[in-house]
Amino acid sequence: MITAERKPIKEIKEMLAPYRKILVVGCGSCVAECAAGGEKEVGLLSSALRMDAKASGKEIEIREMTLDRQCVYEFIDQLTEVIDQYDVVLSLACGAGVQAVAEVFPRVHILPALNTTFLGETKEAGLWVENCRGCGDCKLGVFAAVCPVTRCAKGLFNGPCGGSKTDRCEVDPDVPCAWQLIVSRLEDTGRLDLLRKVHPPADWSKQQGKGPRKIKREDQRT
Amino acid sequence: MDQKGLGITRAILFCRQLDPDQDVNRRAIEKELGSQIRFFPLPCSGRVDPLYLMRALESGADKVYLITCPEGACRHREGNLRAKKRIAYTQGLIEEIGLDRERLELIITSAGDRKTIDELTRDILAREGVTSSVNPNDADIEK
Ligand code: SF4
Ligand code: SF4
Repeated sequence: MITAERKPIKEIKEMLAPYRKILVVGCGSCVAECAAGGEKEVGLLSSALRMDAKASGKEIEIREMTLDRQCVYEFIDQLTEVIDQYDVVLSLACGAGVQAVAEVFPRVHILPALNTTFLGETKEAGLWVENCRGCGDCKLGVFAAVCPVTRCAKGLFNGPCGGSKTDRCEVDPDVPCAWQLIVSRLEDTGRLDLLRKVHPPADWSKQQGKGPRKIKREDQRT
Repeated sequence: MDQKGLGITRAILFCRQLDPDQDVNRRAIEKELGSQIRFFPLPCSGRVDPLYLMRALESGADKVYLITCPEGACRHREGNLRAKKRIAYTQGLIEEIGLDRERLELIITSAGDRKTIDELTRDILAREGVTSSVNPNDADIEK
């Protein structure tokens, strides 16, 4: 999932300063899971903005809405009926969702309420950790499903750096050494022989340098 | 009535487990203070959502209290600890819009001396300086 965090209210207020009628739109998927942009967070932020406006004598009007997904047209279309009644959309989706809405409504002002952060997993209640950088050339198959690109601080492909202490990363002792995890998992699953292979450096041309990436599948298109 | 309640409006969210007769016990105070007090019983204080606290403030409460069971005495194990964290989170949020964090207050009741919801509320009123109808024993509210 994509994780995000709410921007400081001060920054959101500055962006909203020229507007009076605000449509606050959450996303019920990734950012709801990481408690940044779901229905509850739409409610919390809207309440805070209304109270703040009241205290400072500013008149605003807020409508709260949450779409199941803010990056898929079928869901974005739910805004079509109402969007014209507002001066601005404050989106609590990830950057992809904000841009998807902007694309569907070219004349509408749309602002991000979140800082989109990383691709990760919910480790435990209230803890999200990054575990994929979307490199475009996944090697989890040979690294026992532990990503060295993301979880090794140095992104090493051919064994540990040698600096780890008692299975912790030397860069951050709060984090387990990714290579310790890779080797243990390969050992536990009887695949240590995979370590014999020498891997060339990551091919970042699959991720960067050609502008935004695209996935196109004819079988999925209409 | 305004004088009695100091003109403050309060929302009191509380764990229902605190007082099995909460329904009856809170009525007298509701009668006394009218719209200046609103009670919200929760199945467990850990079920409180920051959104309830924000909505209570937004709907005009000057002060929102959350009363929990004593630490270690939560029927759902850690509900009151969770309540503490949610209050802290919401206090951070209201500070961001320039409100005083004291507008939200967590009250952890004392394990030694169980009190009913009306007694607990009178303790709160006494602390706020509302002198009528005060329960003399307000010493065991831990902030
Ligand atoms: S807009 Fe799409 S990718 Fe972004 S948080 Fe919502 S569902 Fe996830
Ligand atoms: S190897 Fe690449 S695609 Fe696979 S988990 Fe790591 S960053 Fe993500």
